[in-house]
Amino acid sequence: MAQTSRKQLAMVSAVSTKDRLHAMDDSAVVGAFLGGEERAFTELVERYQTRLLNFIYRTIGDREKAEDLVQEVFIRVYRHLHRFDRSKKFSTWAYTIASNLAKNELRNRSRNPLVLFQTVQKSYQDDDRPVEFEDPTSRPDDMYHQRHLQKIVEETVSKLPEHHRNVFILRELEGKSYEEIAEITDCNLGTVKSRLNRARNSFAEIIAPFVD
Amino acid sequence: MHCREFKQKHIGFVDDTLAGVELVEMRRHLDECSSCARLDAKIRRALLLVRNLPAVEVSADFSERLNARLSKCRELDARPRSIRKGMAAAMTLAAAAMIGYIALTLQKVEQSSDLLMAPVIASAPESEMTPISSPPPALVAAVPAGLAIWPAALFAEEAPVRFAHARFASAASTAR
Repeated sequence: MAQTSRKQLAMVSAVSTKDRLHAMDDSAVVGAFLGGEERAFTELVERYQTRLLNFIYRTIGDREKAEDLVQEVFIRVYRHLHRFDRSKKFSTWAYTIASNLAKNELRNRSRNPLVLFQTVQKSYQDDDRPVEFEDPTSRPDDMYHQRHLQKIVEETVSKLPEHHRNVFILRELEGKSYEEIAEITDCNLGTVKSRLNRARNSFAEIIAPFVD
Repeated sequence: MHCREFKQKHIGFVDDTLAGVELVEMRRHLDECSSCARLDAKIRRALLLVRNLPAVEVSADFSERLNARLSKCRELDARPRSIRKGMAAAMTLAAAAMIGYIALTLQKVEQSSDLLMAPVIASAPESEMTPISSPPPALVAAVPAGLAIWPAALFAEEAPVRFAHARFASAASTAR
Protein backbone atom coordinates (compact mmCIF):
# COMPACT_ATOMS: atom_id res chain seq x y z
CA MET A 1 0.00 0.00 0.00
CA ALA A 2 2.76 2.38 1.05
CA GLN A 3 4.81 1.30 -1.99
CA THR A 4 1.92 2.08 -4.34
CA SER A 5 1.38 5.51 -2.88
CA ARG A 6 5.15 6.21 -3.16
CA LYS A 7 5.04 5.24 -6.84
CA GLN A 8 2.02 7.49 -7.41
CA LEU A 9 3.80 10.33 -5.63
CA ALA A 10 6.86 9.89 -7.87
CA MET A 11 4.67 9.88 -10.99
CA VAL A 12 2.84 13.01 -9.89
CA SER A 13 6.17 14.68 -9.18
CA ALA A 14 7.52 13.72 -12.64
CA VAL A 15 4.39 15.01 -14.33
CA SER A 16 4.50 18.26 -12.41
CA THR A 17 8.21 18.73 -13.31
CA LYS A 18 7.37 18.13 -16.95
CA ASP A 19 4.50 20.62 -16.83
CA ARG A 20 6.62 23.16 -15.00
CA LEU A 21 9.41 22.88 -17.61
CA HIS A 22 6.87 22.95 -20.40
CA ALA A 23 5.54 26.28 -19.17
CA MET A 24 9.03 27.83 -19.08
CA ASP A 25 10.64 29.76 -21.94
CA ASP A 26 13.83 28.44 -23.55
CA SER A 27 16.13 30.58 -21.46
CA ALA A 28 14.60 29.34 -18.21
CA VAL A 29 14.82 25.71 -19.38
CA VAL A 30 18.49 26.22 -20.22
CA GLY A 31 18.96 27.71 -16.76
CA ALA A 32 17.24 24.73 -15.17
CA PHE A 33 19.52 22.32 -17.05
CA LEU A 34 22.62 24.23 -16.04
CA GLY A 35 21.30 24.16 -12.49
CA GLY A 36 21.48 20.36 -12.60
CA GLU A 37 18.00 19.41 -13.77
CA GLU A 38 18.62 16.72 -16.40
CA ARG A 39 14.93 16.59 -17.41
CA ALA A 40 15.30 20.12 -18.77
CA PHE A 41 17.47 18.80 -21.60
CA THR A 42 14.74 16.38 -22.65
CA GLU A 43 12.38 19.35 -22.75
CA LEU A 44 14.75 21.18 -25.12
CA VAL A 45 14.99 18.07 -27.32
CA GLU A 46 11.21 17.74 -27.47
CA ARG A 47 10.84 21.40 -28.38
CA TYR A 48 13.37 21.41 -31.20
CA GLN A 49 13.75 17.91 -32.64
CA THR A 50 11.01 18.25 -35.28
CA ARG A 51 11.88 21.82 -36.22
CA LEU A 52 15.58 21.03 -36.61
CA LEU A 53 14.83 17.83 -38.52
CA ASN A 54 12.66 19.73 -41.01
CA PHE A 55 15.23 22.46 -41.43
CA ILE A 56 18.11 20.05 -42.05
CA TYR A 57 16.01 17.70 -44.18
CA ARG A 58 14.84 20.52 -46.46
CA THR A 59 18.44 21.72 -46.72
CA ILE A 60 20.20 18.44 -47.50
CA GLY A 61 17.31 16.36 -48.88
CA ASP A 62 18.22 13.12 -47.09
CA ARG A 63 15.89 12.13 -44.27
CA GLU A 64 18.12 9.55 -42.57
CA LYS A 65 21.20 11.74 -42.64
CA ALA A 66 19.11 14.68 -41.43
CA GLU A 67 18.11 12.68 -38.35
CA ASP A 68 21.75 11.82 -37.64
CA LEU A 69 22.65 15.47 -37.91
CA VAL A 70 19.84 16.50 -35.55
CA GLN A 71 21.28 14.06 -33.02
CA GLU A 72 24.68 15.63 -33.54
CA VAL A 73 23.16 19.07 -32.89
CA PHE A 74 21.79 17.89 -29.55
CA ILE A 75 25.07 16.23 -28.57
CA ARG A 76 26.88 19.51 -29.24
CA VAL A 77 24.24 21.47 -27.36
CA TYR A 78 24.59 19.09 -24.40
CA ARG A 79 28.37 19.37 -24.30
CA HIS A 80 28.63 23.12 -24.81
CA LEU A 81 25.52 24.50 -23.16
CA HIS A 82 27.60 25.84 -20.26
CA ARG A 83 29.39 28.09 -22.80
CA PHE A 84 26.18 29.37 -24.37
CA ASP A 85 25.66 33.13 -24.04
CA ARG A 86 22.29 33.27 -22.30
CA SER A 87 21.68 36.86 -23.38
CA LYS A 88 21.03 35.40 -26.85
CA LYS A 89 18.20 33.20 -28.09
CA PHE A 90 18.68 29.47 -27.60
CA SER A 91 16.82 28.71 -30.84
CA THR A 92 19.20 30.87 -32.88
CA TRP A 93 22.18 29.05 -31.39
CA ALA A 94 20.67 25.62 -32.08
CA TYR A 95 19.81 26.59 -35.66
CA THR A 96 23.33 27.96 -36.18
CA ILE A 97 24.80 24.60 -35.19
CA ALA A 98 22.30 22.82 -37.45
CA SER A 99 23.03 25.16 -40.36
CA ASN A 100 26.78 24.60 -40.06
CA LEU A 101 26.37 20.82 -39.91
CA ALA A 102 24.09 20.87 -42.97
CA LYS A 103 26.58 23.05 -44.82
CA ASN A 104 29.42 20.64 -43.98
CA GLU A 105 27.31 17.72 -45.14
CA LEU A 106 26.66 19.38 -48.50
CA ARG A 107 30.36 20.23 -48.85
CA ASN A 108 31.37 16.63 -48.09
CA ARG A 109 28.84 15.37 -50.58
CA SER A 110 30.17 17.56 -53.36
CA ARG A 111 33.62 16.10 -52.67
CA ASN A 112 32.34 12.51 -52.57
CA PRO A 113 30.13 11.64 -55.54
CA LEU A 114 29.35 8.20 -54.07
CA VAL A 115 27.43 9.80 -51.19
CA LEU A 116 25.49 11.89 -53.69
CA PHE A 117 24.60 8.79 -55.66
CA GLN A 118 23.43 7.00 -52.50
CA THR A 119 21.23 9.99 -51.64
CA VAL A 120 19.68 10.07 -55.07
CA GLN A 121 19.08 6.33 -54.89
CA LYS A 122 17.48 6.70 -51.46
CA SER A 123 15.12 9.44 -52.55
CA TYR A 124 14.18 7.28 -55.54
CA GLN A 125 13.31 4.41 -53.21
CA ASP A 126 11.26 6.82 -51.10
CA ASP A 127 8.83 7.09 -53.99
CA ASP A 128 7.59 3.64 -53.12
CA ARG A 129 6.61 4.59 -49.59
CA PRO A 130 2.91 4.51 -48.67
CA VAL A 131 0.93 7.71 -48.96
CA GLU A 132 1.37 9.84 -45.88
CA PHE A 133 0.34 13.28 -44.68
CA GLU A 134 -2.71 13.54 -46.90
CA ASP A 135 -6.17 13.73 -45.53
CA PRO A 136 -7.52 10.11 -45.70
CA THR A 137 -10.98 11.40 -46.47
CA SER A 138 -9.77 12.93 -49.76
CA ARG A 139 -10.52 11.28 -53.10
CA PRO A 140 -7.68 9.18 -54.56
CA ASP A 141 -7.06 11.55 -57.49
CA ASP A 142 -6.91 14.52 -55.09
CA MET A 143 -4.44 12.63 -52.94
CA TYR A 144 -2.35 11.80 -55.98
CA HIS A 145 -2.39 15.44 -57.07
CA GLN A 146 -1.42 16.64 -53.59
CA ARG A 147 1.42 14.20 -53.34
CA HIS A 148 2.64 15.07 -56.81
CA LEU A 149 2.53 18.78 -56.02
CA GLN A 150 4.33 18.24 -52.73
CA LYS A 151 7.09 16.39 -54.54
CA ILE A 152 7.41 19.18 -57.09
CA VAL A 153 7.58 21.80 -54.35
CA GLU A 154 10.27 19.82 -52.50
CA GLU A 155 12.25 19.35 -55.70
CA THR A 156 11.97 23.04 -56.52
CA VAL A 157 13.27 23.99 -53.08
CA SER A 158 16.20 21.62 -53.52
CA LYS A 159 16.99 23.22 -56.90
CA LEU A 160 17.66 26.62 -55.34
CA PRO A 161 21.33 27.53 -54.89
CA GLU A 162 22.60 26.51 -51.45
CA HIS A 163 22.93 29.98 -49.90
CA HIS A 164 19.51 31.03 -51.26
CA ARG A 165 17.90 27.78 -50.12
CA ASN A 166 19.21 28.15 -46.57
CA VAL A 167 17.72 31.62 -46.17
CA PHE A 168 14.51 30.60 -47.95
CA ILE A 169 13.90 27.60 -45.65
CA LEU A 170 14.68 29.56 -42.50
CA ARG A 171 12.17 32.24 -43.51
CA GLU A 172 9.37 30.34 -45.25
CA LEU A 173 9.41 27.05 -43.37
CA GLU A 174 10.89 27.94 -40.01
CA GLY A 175 9.40 31.42 -39.77
CA LYS A 176 12.62 33.09 -38.61
CA SER A 177 12.98 36.86 -38.64
CA TYR A 178 15.52 38.55 -40.95
CA GLU A 179 17.72 39.32 -37.93
CA GLU A 180 17.72 35.73 -36.73
CA ILE A 181 18.54 34.47 -40.22
CA ALA A 182 21.41 36.96 -40.42
CA GLU A 183 22.79 35.60 -37.16
CA ILE A 184 22.31 31.94 -38.09
CA THR A 185 23.87 32.29 -41.54
CA ASP A 186 26.50 34.79 -40.41
CA CYS A 187 25.48 37.34 -43.07
CA ASN A 188 24.41 40.94 -42.83
CA LEU A 189 20.77 41.98 -43.01
CA GLY A 190 21.06 43.35 -46.56
CA THR A 191 22.48 40.07 -47.85
CA VAL A 192 19.68 38.11 -46.16
CA LYS A 193 17.00 40.30 -47.76
CA SER A 194 18.60 40.18 -51.17
CA ARG A 195 19.04 36.39 -51.06
CA LEU A 196 15.50 35.89 -49.84
CA ASN A 197 14.11 38.12 -52.58
CA ARG A 198 16.04 36.24 -55.26
CA ALA A 199 15.10 32.86 -53.78
CA ARG A 200 11.41 33.80 -53.76
CA ASN A 201 11.53 34.99 -57.35
CA SER A 202 13.40 31.89 -58.54
CA PHE A 203 11.10 29.57 -56.63
CA ALA A 204 7.97 31.27 -58.00
CA GLU A 205 9.40 31.19 -61.51
CA ILE A 206 10.17 27.44 -61.39
CA ILE A 207 6.94 26.39 -59.70
CA ALA A 208 4.60 28.61 -61.79
CA PRO A 209 4.08 26.18 -64.71
CA PHE A 210 2.97 23.45 -62.28
CA VAL A 211 0.36 25.51 -60.47
CA ASP A 212 -1.13 27.58 -63.28
CA MET B 1 6.16 54.43 -57.79
CA HIS B 2 8.11 52.64 -60.51
CA CYS B 3 8.16 48.89 -61.08
CA ARG B 4 11.80 48.72 -60.05
CA GLU B 5 11.07 50.26 -56.66
CA PHE B 6 8.06 47.96 -56.27
CA LYS B 7 10.23 44.90 -56.87
CA GLN B 8 12.88 46.13 -54.44
CA LYS B 9 10.32 46.61 -51.68
CA HIS B 10 8.30 43.52 -52.51
CA ILE B 11 10.04 41.38 -49.88
CA GLY B 12 8.83 43.75 -47.16
CA PHE B 13 5.40 43.94 -48.79
CA VAL B 14 4.97 40.16 -48.61
CA ASP B 15 6.33 39.99 -45.06
CA ASP B 16 4.26 42.98 -43.95
CA THR B 17 7.26 44.89 -42.66
CA LEU B 18 6.75 48.11 -44.63
CA ALA B 19 5.76 51.39 -43.08
CA GLY B 20 2.18 52.60 -43.60
CA VAL B 21 2.98 55.13 -46.33
CA GLU B 22 5.06 52.62 -48.31
CA LEU B 23 2.33 50.04 -47.98
CA VAL B 24 -0.24 52.43 -49.46
CA GLU B 25 2.12 53.24 -52.35
CA MET B 26 2.72 49.56 -53.04
CA ARG B 27 -1.01 48.84 -53.11
CA ARG B 28 -1.63 51.77 -55.40
CA HIS B 29 1.08 50.51 -57.77
CA LEU B 30 -0.55 47.07 -57.78
CA ASP B 31 -3.79 48.64 -58.96
CA GLU B 32 -2.02 50.57 -61.68
CA CYS B 33 0.48 47.97 -62.99
CA SER B 34 -0.84 44.64 -64.19
CA SER B 35 2.66 43.19 -64.69
CA CYS B 36 3.62 43.80 -61.03
CA ALA B 37 0.20 42.55 -59.91
CA ARG B 38 0.87 39.28 -61.77
CA LEU B 39 4.32 38.97 -60.21
CA ASP B 40 2.90 39.60 -56.74
CA ALA B 41 0.20 36.95 -57.22
CA LYS B 42 2.73 34.46 -58.60
CA ILE B 43 5.07 34.85 -55.63
CA ARG B 44 2.31 34.74 -53.04
CA ARG B 45 0.82 31.60 -54.57
CA ALA B 46 4.23 29.90 -54.65
CA LEU B 47 4.94 30.81 -51.04
CA LEU B 48 1.59 29.45 -49.96
CA LEU B 49 2.60 26.10 -51.43
CA VAL B 50 5.96 25.93 -49.70
CA ARG B 51 4.58 27.11 -46.37
CA ASN B 52 2.03 24.29 -46.45
CA LEU B 53 4.58 21.52 -46.90
CA PRO B 54 3.85 18.85 -44.30
CA ALA B 55 6.34 18.57 -41.45
CA VAL B 56 8.61 15.54 -41.26
CA GLU B 57 8.53 13.76 -37.91
CA VAL B 58 11.46 12.09 -36.15
CA SER B 59 11.55 8.30 -36.25
CA ALA B 60 10.30 6.20 -33.35
CA ASP B 61 13.76 5.24 -32.08
CA PHE B 62 15.15 8.78 -32.24
CA SER B 63 15.00 9.41 -28.47
CA GLU B 64 16.44 5.99 -27.72
CA ARG B 65 19.42 6.54 -30.01
CA LEU B 66 19.97 10.05 -28.70
CA ASN B 67 19.88 8.86 -25.09
CA ALA B 68 22.46 6.17 -25.89
CA ARG B 69 24.76 8.80 -27.37
CA LEU B 70 24.18 11.15 -24.46
CA SER B 71 25.05 8.35 -22.00
CA LYS B 72 28.39 7.92 -23.75
CA CYS B 73 28.94 11.66 -23.44
CA ARG B 74 28.19 11.54 -19.75
CA GLU B 75 30.56 8.61 -19.28
CA LEU B 76 33.35 10.54 -20.94
CA ASP B 77 32.62 13.61 -18.84
CA ALA B 78 32.42 11.54 -15.66
CA ARG B 79 35.89 10.01 -16.06
CA PRO B 80 37.86 10.43 -12.82
CA ARG B 81 39.82 13.64 -12.76
CA SER B 82 42.97 11.79 -11.71
CA ILE B 83 42.96 9.87 -15.02
CA ARG B 84 42.46 13.02 -17.01
CA LYS B 85 45.20 14.78 -14.99
CA GLY B 86 47.54 11.83 -15.53
CA MET B 87 46.92 11.89 -19.27
CA ALA B 88 47.56 15.63 -19.38
CA ALA B 89 50.82 15.23 -17.43
CA ALA B 90 51.98 12.42 -19.73
CA MET B 91 51.24 14.53 -22.80
CA THR B 92 53.13 17.50 -21.31
CA LEU B 93 56.13 15.27 -20.59
CA ALA B 94 56.06 13.86 -24.10
CA ALA B 95 55.92 17.35 -25.56
CA ALA B 96 58.83 18.50 -23.39
CA ALA B 97 60.90 15.46 -24.44
CA MET B 98 60.15 16.18 -28.09
CA ILE B 99 61.22 19.82 -27.73
CA GLY B 100 64.42 18.73 -25.94
CA TYR B 101 65.23 16.26 -28.68
CA ILE B 102 64.72 18.89 -31.38
CA ALA B 103 66.92 21.36 -29.48
CA LEU B 104 69.72 18.76 -29.13
CA THR B 105 69.53 17.87 -32.81
CA LEU B 106 69.75 21.52 -33.81
CA GLN B 107 72.77 22.00 -31.50
CA LYS B 108 74.54 19.05 -33.14
CA VAL B 109 73.90 20.46 -36.56
CA GLU B 110 75.31 23.83 -35.51
CA GLN B 111 78.52 22.16 -34.20
CA SER B 112 79.03 20.13 -37.35
CA SER B 113 82.42 20.83 -39.05
CA ASP B 114 80.92 20.94 -42.51
CA LEU B 115 79.21 24.17 -41.69
CA LEU B 116 82.40 25.77 -40.36
CA MET B 117 83.99 25.66 -43.82
CA ALA B 118 83.86 28.76 -45.90
CA PRO B 119 81.04 28.69 -48.39
CA VAL B 120 82.05 27.76 -51.89
CA ILE B 121 80.51 29.64 -54.73
CA ALA B 122 80.27 27.46 -57.74
CA SER B 123 81.00 29.12 -61.04
CA ALA B 124 81.49 27.88 -64.56
CA PRO B 125 83.59 29.58 -67.22
CA GLU B 126 81.55 31.14 -69.93
CA SER B 127 81.79 29.08 -73.06
CA GLU B 128 82.11 30.74 -76.37
CA MET B 129 79.07 30.34 -78.52
CA THR B 130 79.75 28.83 -81.84
CA PRO B 131 77.95 30.69 -84.57
CA ILE B 132 75.63 28.57 -86.61
CA SER B 133 76.48 28.76 -90.18
CA SER B 134 74.21 27.45 -92.88
CA PRO B 135 73.33 23.78 -92.16
CA PRO B 136 75.10 21.23 -94.27
CA PRO B 137 72.66 19.98 -96.86
CA ALA B 138 74.03 16.43 -96.71
CA LEU B 139 72.93 15.94 -93.05
CA VAL B 140 69.46 17.45 -93.64
CA ALA B 141 68.98 15.05 -96.46
CA ALA B 142 69.89 12.14 -94.18
CA VAL B 143 67.11 12.91 -91.66
CA PRO B 144 64.04 10.78 -92.39
CA ALA B 145 60.95 12.89 -92.96
CA GLY B 146 57.55 12.33 -91.30
CA LEU B 147 58.15 12.66 -87.53
CA ALA B 148 58.23 16.13 -86.06
CA ILE B 149 60.11 15.43 -82.78
CA TRP B 150 62.56 12.81 -83.87
CA PRO B 151 64.55 14.96 -86.33
CA ALA B 152 64.84 17.69 -83.68
CA ALA B 153 66.24 15.20 -81.15
CA LEU B 154 68.60 13.90 -83.77
CA PHE B 155 69.78 17.41 -84.48
CA ALA B 156 70.38 18.05 -80.80
CA GLU B 157 72.40 14.87 -80.39
CA GLU B 158 74.37 15.43 -83.53
CA ALA B 159 74.94 19.14 -82.92
CA PRO B 160 78.70 19.04 -82.12
CA VAL B 161 79.32 16.77 -85.08
CA ARG B 162 77.29 19.07 -87.25
CA PHE B 163 79.18 22.14 -86.05
CA ALA B 164 82.47 20.36 -86.67
CA HIS B 165 81.30 19.41 -90.10
CA ALA B 166 80.11 22.94 -90.78
CA ARG B 167 83.45 24.43 -89.72
CA PHE B 168 85.22 21.77 -91.77
CA ALA B 169 83.01 22.53 -94.73
CA SER B 170 83.60 26.27 -94.49
CA ALA B 171 87.37 25.71 -94.04
CA ALA B 172 87.34 23.49 -97.10
CA SER B 173 85.48 26.08 -99.13
CA THR B 174 87.94 28.88 -98.13
CA ALA B 175 90.90 26.56 -98.91
CA ARG B 176 89.45 26.12 -102.32
